[in-house]
Amino acid sequence: MIDFARVQKELQECSRDMESSGIKVAPKSDNLARLTGTIPGPISSPYEGGTFQIDITLPDGYPFEPPKMQFATKVWHPNISSQSGAICLDILKDQWSPALTLKTALLSVQALLSAPEPDDPQDAVVAQQYLRDHQTFVGTARYWTETFAKTSSLGVEEKVQKLVEMGFPEALARSALESVGGDENSALEKLCSG
Amino acid sequence: MQNEEQLTCRIEDLANCCGGVDDDIMQKQSTEYQSASPILLEKIKVLGDKYVAIRRTRGDGNCFFRSFMFSYLEHILETQDGAEVDRIKLNVEECRKTLQSLGYVDFTFEDFFALFLEQLDDVLQGNENSISHEELLNRSRDQSVSDYVVMFFRFVTTGEIRKRSQFFEPFIFGLTNTTVEQFCKSSVEPMGEESDHMHITALSDALGVPIRVVYLDRSSCDAGVVSVNHHDFVPAPGNPPSATSASSESINPFITLLYRPGHYDILYPNYGTWNTCVYVVGWVDGTSFMLLSLTCIYYGMQTIKEVRVMEAVKINLNHEETQGCKAKALASSVFVLYIVINVQMLLNCEWGPKCRLPESFRQSSVPI
Repeated sequence: MIDFARVQKELQECSRDMESSGIKVAPKSDNLARLTGTIPGPISSPYEGGTFQIDITLPDGYPFEPPKMQFATKVWHPNISSQSGAICLDILKDQWSPALTLKTALLSVQALLSAPEPDDPQDAVVAQQYLRDHQTFVGTARYWTETFAKTSSLGVEEKVQKLVEMGFPEALARSALESVGGDENSALEKLCSG
Repeated sequence: MQNEEQLTCRIEDLANCCGGVDDDIMQKQSTEYQSASPILLEKIKVLGDKYVAIRRTRGDGNCFFRSFMFSYLEHILETQDGAEVDRIKLNVEECRKTLQSLGYVDFTFEDFFALFLEQLDDVLQGNENSISHEELLNRSRDQSVSDYVVMFFRFVTTGEIRKRSQFFEPFIFGLTNTTVEQFCKSSVEPMGEESDHMHITALSDALGVPIRVVYLDRSSCDAGVVSVNHHDFVPAPGNPPSATSASSESINPFITLLYRPGHYDILYPNYGTWNTCVYVVGWVDGTSFMLLSLTCIYYGMQTIKEVRVMEAVKINLNHEETQGCKAKALASSVFVLYIVINVQMLLNCEWGPKCRLPESFRQSSVPI
């Protein structure tokens, strides 16, 4: 059974110092078991300037079991799958402790962005590139940040406008954006598939 | 293979009140003792003399904390020691402040603290939430209680280690080559991380509860005499404690844990044997006392540890009037002692003021 009272407290705590940490956690719906975390790309890393969305699913045993976290925004990083967004981080596995919180976990994920550990990779291709051709790695990571992590920095109205220009009805575009948490690419995908 | 069976059997002897045994643990034992050495077998025999039973705990890496939890709460439940509860509550408050000053956010630990304090109140009888021994067992097996208390102890331990990081640093660095903070993050705070000397020292100091750990390993003993080592973790008086684990004769820990490499269980000392005293009523002088001692040796090497002679009935050897009574006195003293010893043997040495072996123990096969 998830300790929802605690999750509630965590959300409050997080929103209180959102300004300073830049880290945001919001429930996807009324159900507190599924949340979306947002972290800014760390300064002086190829991820600088990007805003990264992370899907969070709380297991039944939370806070005794670690939250499941996965990048919703595409990232080029040795410890994050470029396909699925799966994160390889010890505190999200056996080193998790109830002393940690969603916020501290997201801070660790943010720290992982600045300090990749290519020797313990999640994405072997990226890790190879990181070790053998660092220049290209930085370039790719920066390009991915520009392409996937910056669209969400646009205001909602601008995004709606963009989608309307593409030929979708405004109401539909707006609801699609809302349902995917404001991510323009996902909204587009949704609109195209729907 | 033969050794293995013999050993399991002996362990069962030691834990003859334990009922059935968890399969998992059986397996663990057999692998653990695959090459049971004669020393080990001998040690188990020695253990059997001093302890009446063991209570098993789950082998999930939290065994030390879980053993401590049950042992402590059981002690309070049995002794109803309100003063001890008041004392530990002060320490718990101190731990809370420590965590706050270390920058831990309240909501990360308050639930765990609250749950432990609730258990403390519940084992004290006389309020509406008071619980029985059986309920304590159930709660210890119920993860939604047990795990919270384990985590509470992990918080207490991590707080103590970080508060006194200067003291712990050399040990931690020597053992794991990491910083105090890293050690706490990776080896204390996560559930399932095993405990060692450092954890026990920190928990014992922080809560002010002495802990005895009996070591069942293959280390041999001096002079060919097999004995089982133990170490008493005695919280140093004063705050902050300056030295730890200094064995002190005067403190007798009420928590005794059995350590076999990689695992802790709870041991129940054979208080009946050790605290037995024989009160000799009758006339006693030099000669009869010697005879008494001989009788003790003959009948009760195992059972009699102390003979108390009532001061009031000692007589003066040279006093004329008493001379005639000497023979009678001697005979009656020996007779009384003879009866006492026999009664004790009949009762299988479990006779004594502090002998404890909870009823529910006999049915408990599931480890806590």
